[in-house]
Amino acid sequence: MQTRARFALAVLGLGLALAGPILSQTPASPTAQIATAAEALLATLSDAQRSQALFRFDDEAQRKRWSNLPTGPFTRAGLRMGDLTEPQRAAVLALLSAALSPEGYTKVMAIVGADEALRQSTGRAMFGRDEYYVSFVGEPSTTAPWLLQFGGHHLALNITLAGDQGTLAPSHTAAQPATYELEGRTVQPLGREVELSAALLRSLDAKQREQAILGFQVRDLVLGPGRDGQAIQPEGIKGSELTARQRELLLELAGEWTGISHAALARAKRAELAANVEDTWFAWSGPTETGKSAYFRIQGPTVHIEYAPQGRDEPATHVHTIYRDPTNEYGARWWAR
Amino acid sequence: MGTLARRAVWLLALAVAPSAARAHRLDEYLQATVVSIEPEAIRLSINLTPGIEVADEVLARIDWNRDGLIAESEGATYSELLRRDLTLRLDRGGMELELVAATFPTTAELAAGTGIIQLVFEAGALPLAAGPHVLAFENRHFPGVGVYLFNAALPRSPSIEIARQKRNDDQSVGEIEFMLTDASAAAGR
Repeated sequence: MQTRARFALAVLGLGLALAGPILSQTPASPTAQIATAAEALLATLSDAQRSQALFRFDDEAQRKRWSNLPTGPFTRAGLRMGDLTEPQRAAVLALLSAALSPEGYTKVMAIVGADEALRQSTGRAMFGRDEYYVSFVGEPSTTAPWLLQFGGHHLALNITLAGDQGTLAPSHTAAQPATYELEGRTVQPLGREVELSAALLRSLDAKQREQAILGFQVRDLVLGPGRDGQAIQPEGIKGSELTARQRELLLELAGEWTGISHAALARAKRAELAANVEDTWFAWSGPTETGKSAYFRIQGPTVHIEYAPQGRDEPATHVHTIYRDPTNEYGARWWAR
Repeated sequence: MGTLARRAVWLLALAVAPSAARAHRLDEYLQATVVSIEPEAIRLSINLTPGIEVADEVLARIDWNRDGLIAESEGATYSELLRRDLTLRLDRGGMELELVAATFPTTAELAAGTGIIQLVFEAGALPLAAGPHVLAFENRHFPGVGVYLFNAALPRSPSIEIARQKRNDDQSVGEIEFMLTDASAAAGR
């Protein structure tokens, strides 16, 4: 063996020897990462703040205390962002960063940014980034179930974690203004939902459109806030009537909701949706021209998504959406007796 | 809370309401009905959300004495007004609706355009044969400003299959075609 080759093998061997202990370590599970970030936040809190933030896991009232409405018309509990110190706010953002995918984190911050833009344009203190709340239903844990909540006007994240499993259902995303300017760039928090739904609609042939397009107006969410535990009959076009490319588009569109959560949890959910895609429905109501304001819905065995423009503005200036899992709201499948 | 204090709360709600309501439905009255068809009962779950500009008109029909509170009797009276504006027919036969649950928000929440009235009506039992059936529904409550949603719930019973749903353009009128596959399930209710 040549000297150079022997040297290269020696370096490789040394490298493997050094890397061995690192490679043999199992990467922290999503729940462990999120729980660690949650503990880091809790460590920054006073006793009073801690008792404000933590609720018993069997507190059903807190579990369901979320809304599309701003503070004032709706009373939230937990820690108000505007009451936190700068390091505490940073710890909340670090927790969200740990609990969400990068795309999900960006979307959530864009929704909060829209509300901040609304505060600045209206001068009303009920809007804005200070009016978001963080709370825990159950203690952060890598084994026992617990729920991380973050929400305010137009946002309700309910992230239930139970061991290695996690779900975002039910959660609410929305935006007003639907588009705004920030530091010289245009932000559209729910822009991908518009693009992907329009792409899916465009991909349908005449017969498919006839099935997908509902012949009546749908002017609001059917299973919005306050409709926990309900499920409606699916309508529109069934996944089994779509081509492989159209099913991919449907999954990609659903991913705008399921993909908000930690990437590993989102991957698991996407695999579940892909397994059921033939039994997943897509329905559309409203104008079909690109850029026009329209309602759509995705319904499958383990998913319920709605996108509903509010009012009649063109293009939509105010949008509400809902994400549910009719079989596993608040992760009940993993903990309910 | 005294009457004056209640009036003050209501007036305060009206004063601060526009900013909250600006972000939401203003001059319309959202009326969302989910119809659950099961062998033992047909149930209408109706959520009603008046916008701020119609809230006063709706409140006038609920809070008769204008004391800022919704008494049980006032809630029952309003529920009856709504019931009279609803028509439910099964295979063209009229069905009686009975109020089985009612939740009213505060007058302040209603005045702010953010309160949700939740009512559940149940239809009297009718004998059903196995086979296809049609349930027809009409909502004539506040027709000028109503925004209606009408949907069949996913049946819990395996003996009920929803075949088709039809609505008019604004969903104030609709039909649910369904199949009862096991008549004994309905007979046993």
